[in-house]
Amino acid sequence: MDTLLQILFNGLSVGAVYALFALGYTLVFSVLGVINFAQGAVFTLGAYFTYLFIGGGVGSNGALAGLQLPFALPFWLALLLAGLAAALVSVGVEAVAFRPLRRRGAEPLLYLITSLGAGVILVNLIQILMGAEGYALPAGALGWLPVTITLAGASVRTVQVLLLLVAAVVVLALTWWLEGTRGGRALQAVAEDATTARLLGIDSDAMIRLSFAASGFLAGISGGLVGLSLSITGPYFGIGFGLKALGVLVLGGLGSVPGAVLAGLIVGLAEALVPGEWSGYKDAVAYAFLFAVLLLRPRGLLGRPLDTRV
Amino acid sequence: MDATLPVQMVLGALLGLSVYLPLATGQLSLATPGFYVIGGYVAALLSTGVAALGGGEPSYPLPSLLLEMGLAALLAAAVAVVIGRPVLKLRGIYLAIATIALVEILRVLNLNLPFTGGAVGIFAIPQPFADPWGYLLLSALLLAAVCWLCARLGAMRLGRAQAAVRDDELAAACMGIDTAQVKLTAFVISAVIAALTGVISAHFLNTWNARQGSFDASITTLAFVVFGGSRTWVGPVLGGLVLTALPELLRPVGDLRLIVYGLVILAGPVVFPQGVITPERLQHWARHRPWRRPSPRAGA
Amino acid sequence: MSTLPAPALLRAEGVGCRFGGVRALSNVNLAVGEGEIFGLIGPNGAGKTTLFNVISGLTRASEGRVLWRGGSLEGLGPERISRCGIARTFQNLRLFDNLSVLDNVRVGMHRVAGAPLAGALLASPAFRRRQAEVQDQAMELLELFDLAALAPQRAADLAYGDRRRLEMARALATGPSLLLLDEPAAGMNPAEKDDLCARIARIRERFALTVLIIEHHVPLMMRLCDRLAVLNFGERIALGSPEEVRHDPRVIEAYLGGRPAGQDP
Repeated sequence: MDTLLQILFNGLSVGAVYALFALGYTLVFSVLGVINFAQGAVFTLGAYFTYLFIGGGVGSNGALAGLQLPFALPFWLALLLAGLAAALVSVGVEAVAFRPLRRRGAEPLLYLITSLGAGVILVNLIQILMGAEGYALPAGALGWLPVTITLAGASVRTVQVLLLLVAAVVVLALTWWLEGTRGGRALQAVAEDATTARLLGIDSDAMIRLSFAASGFLAGISGGLVGLSLSITGPYFGIGFGLKALGVLVLGGLGSVPGAVLAGLIVGLAEALVPGEWSGYKDAVAYAFLFAVLLLRPRGLLGRPLDTRV
Repeated sequence: MDATLPVQMVLGALLGLSVYLPLATGQLSLATPGFYVIGGYVAALLSTGVAALGGGEPSYPLPSLLLEMGLAALLAAAVAVVIGRPVLKLRGIYLAIATIALVEILRVLNLNLPFTGGAVGIFAIPQPFADPWGYLLLSALLLAAVCWLCARLGAMRLGRAQAAVRDDELAAACMGIDTAQVKLTAFVISAVIAALTGVISAHFLNTWNARQGSFDASITTLAFVVFGGSRTWVGPVLGGLVLTALPELLRPVGDLRLIVYGLVILAGPVVFPQGVITPERLQHWARHRPWRRPSPRAGA
Repeated sequence: MSTLPAPALLRAEGVGCRFGGVRALSNVNLAVGEGEIFGLIGPNGAGKTTLFNVISGLTRASEGRVLWRGGSLEGLGPERISRCGIARTFQNLRLFDNLSVLDNVRVGMHRVAGAPLAGALLASPAFRRRQAEVQDQAMELLELFDLAALAPQRAADLAYGDRRRLEMARALATGPSLLLLDEPAAGMNPAEKDDLCARIARIRERFALTVLIIEHHVPLMMRLCDRLAVLNFGERIALGSPEEVRHDPRVIEAYLGGRPAGQDP
C-alpha cells in the first residue's frame, strides 16, 4: 500500500518527464511554430543509448544480437552521453525533415508528416537493430546508491529522486541558458521575429539547429531517465509519452517554458492520484486536461494570448 | 486472384477522403481513426451481440450490414456534431492536437469499457461475404459514392464556401458564409465516411480492437492526403490506394519495409509539396491525354 | 455638429474600442443616410479601419453600439452582418487567392446561390439552370469591373489593379445596401483614381448603394463624398460637407499638419 507521499512522489517524477518532453517540443515550436513529431523517437533513442552506455547487452532478436559495449559507464555519464547522442540525431532530423521544406517555404502542415516519417524510420531502425523486446535496467546500474531511500518516513525509489533532481537541474540550466546567455537570447530573438533577428545578424539557421539540439538533448535525457526508473517496453515506448506531452504542452501554453514545467507536474500528479480501480483510464487524464484547457482557456495556463489580429 | 489487398486499398482511399474533407475547408483534423473505430465497434457489437440481426447464420444478412452502416453513420454524425462545435473553433495546430487527443481518449475508453472486449477486442465478427470480392464490391460502391459527392461539391455552393474558408476564413465570413457551419458540415461528412469504412473493415477483418484507431492511423491517413495532394479529391484517393499497397508490396523487403514507408512519407512532401495530384496537373493531363497519343510537343 | 439626415441607414452611437491599454476609438458618433457617399478620413492610426471592423463584426466595440436601420448590430458575427446587407473590402486585399476570379464573385453570391441538396448532388436540370443563372450574374458583375476576360484565372495571378477591382466586385456580389470601401485607391495612379471615382459613382446609381469609404487621397474624397467625417486618435473631430470639413480649423491642424486643405498630401 503506497502512502500519499509515495503517490505524490511517483506523480512528480512522471510529471518531470512530461515536463522535459514538453520543453523539447516548446523549444522547436517557439522557433519554427511547428511540432516535431520525431521527438518521441528521439526520446526512445535516448533510453536505448542510456541502456547501452550503462553496460546493458542487446537481446537475441535484433541485428545487433548479443552486442555489449566494452565499457560500462556510471549512470550519470551514460545519461549525459545519451542526451548528447540524441541531440545529434535531432539535428540530423532537422536536416532531413525540416530544412528542405523550410527552403521551399512549404506549409507547416508538411513538417508534421516529414517529422513523423523521420520518427518512423528511427523507431524501425531501433527495432531492426535491437529487436522488439523490452529492456530493463541492469542490476546495480546506480552503483553504490541504495535501491530505495527513506524520506519523511516513506520509502521511495532512489531512481525517482534522481529523476526529479536531474529534471530540476536541466530545467534550471535551460532557463539560465535561455535568459542568461547570448545563445539563448539569440534563440528567443529568432522565436520572436525571425526576419528582424536576421537583420540583427543572428544566423537563424544555426539557431534552429540549436533548438533541435537542445530539444533532442532534453528528449534523450528524459528517455534515459524513464528507461532507468521504469523499463524500456520496446521501440514504440516513446510514442505514448510524446502524445501525452502534447497535452502537457497545450495545457502549459504553447511556447511557454514555465508553463510546460507546471503543466507536466500537474498532469503527472493527476495521473498518480487516479484511484487503482480506475487505473485503466489513467492514460486519458492528460487528454482530458487538454480538452478542458482548449475549451476554457485556449492559450494554456501560462501562454500568451492568441493572435487575433485582422 | 486474392482481392484482399484491393479491399484494403479501397478502404485506405475512403479514409484518405475522410481526412481530405475537413482539410479542404482548411481544418487539419486527425480525428478520422476515432470515427473509424466507432464504426467498427458498432458493427462488431451489433453483429456479435444482437442475435436477431442474423449473426448465427452461415452468411451474415446484407440488410443487417446496411442497418449497421446506418446506425454507425448516425452515431458518428452525432459525436461529430457534439465534439465539432467546440473543437472547430480552434485553429491550426491546436485543432490537430485536440483531434489527436480525441482519438487517444477513444482508444483508452475502448480498452477499458466493460463491453468492448478490452485489449483483445471483439472477434468472430460474422461475414456477409464468402470471399474478399464481395467486400471489394461494397467498398468500391461506397468509394464511388463518396467520390461523386466530392466531385459534385466542386460545382456546389458548399464546395466553393469550403474553398473560400480554406483560403481566408475571415473574408469568407464577410461574404455572409456561416464558416462554423461549413466547417462542421465537412467534419460531420468526414466522420460519417470514416464510420462507414469502419463497419466494412470490422467485418472484413473479422476482429476489432482499440488498436484500429491509434495515433499511427491518424498519421497514416494524413499521409494519404499529403502524399496524394489536398487540393483535389483525386489526390487522397490515389494516396490512399498507393500508400496502403506500398507496405504490402514491400513485404519481400521484410523488416525494411516500414523504413521504406517512412522514407516515402519523409521524402514525399519535399519532392511534391502540393502532393502528387494537383488541379493544374489534372488539367494538363486532361488536355494532353498522354495515355492516348504522344503529345505533339513531346516528339519535337 | 451638423444635423443628421433622418432616418439614418447606419448609425454609430458612442462607439469606443480598446485593445489592452490602447484606445483605438473613443465615443465616435456618426450617421450615414441612405444613398450617401460618406467619407472617413484621418491620419494613419486614427481608427478608421477599426471602425470598419466594428461595423462589419470583426471587432467587438468596448463601448457604444452600431445601429442598422434602427436595429442594433451588437453581438452579430461578420456573416450575419453581411446578410443584413453590409459588404466590405479590405485595405490589404483579402481575395480567395486559390479560387478563380469567377469563383471569388460566386462565393460572394453565397447567400443567393443556394439550391436543394438532392438536385445539386444529381446535377438535375433545375440545378444546372440555377447554376447558369448564378454564373451569368457573376459574369455581369465582372463585366462591370472589366474583369470578364480574366474570369477563369486564379485570383492570385491577377495584376494589382485588377485585384482591387475584383475585391469590389466580390463585395457587390453579396447584394449589399451599404458598401464599406477601405482605401480602394491605395497604390493607384491618377488615371486609375479617376476611373475608380467614376466607377464608385456609377455603381452607387446602379445598385442604389450607400457607400462608406476610407481614403487618404483628400482631393478624391472632396470630389466624391457627399459628407465627410474626420477621425484623429480614435476621436471624431469633424463632420460635414467637404466644404465645411475643408475649412474646419481642427482638421487643418490635426490632419493636414497646418497646411491648407485640398492639396495633395
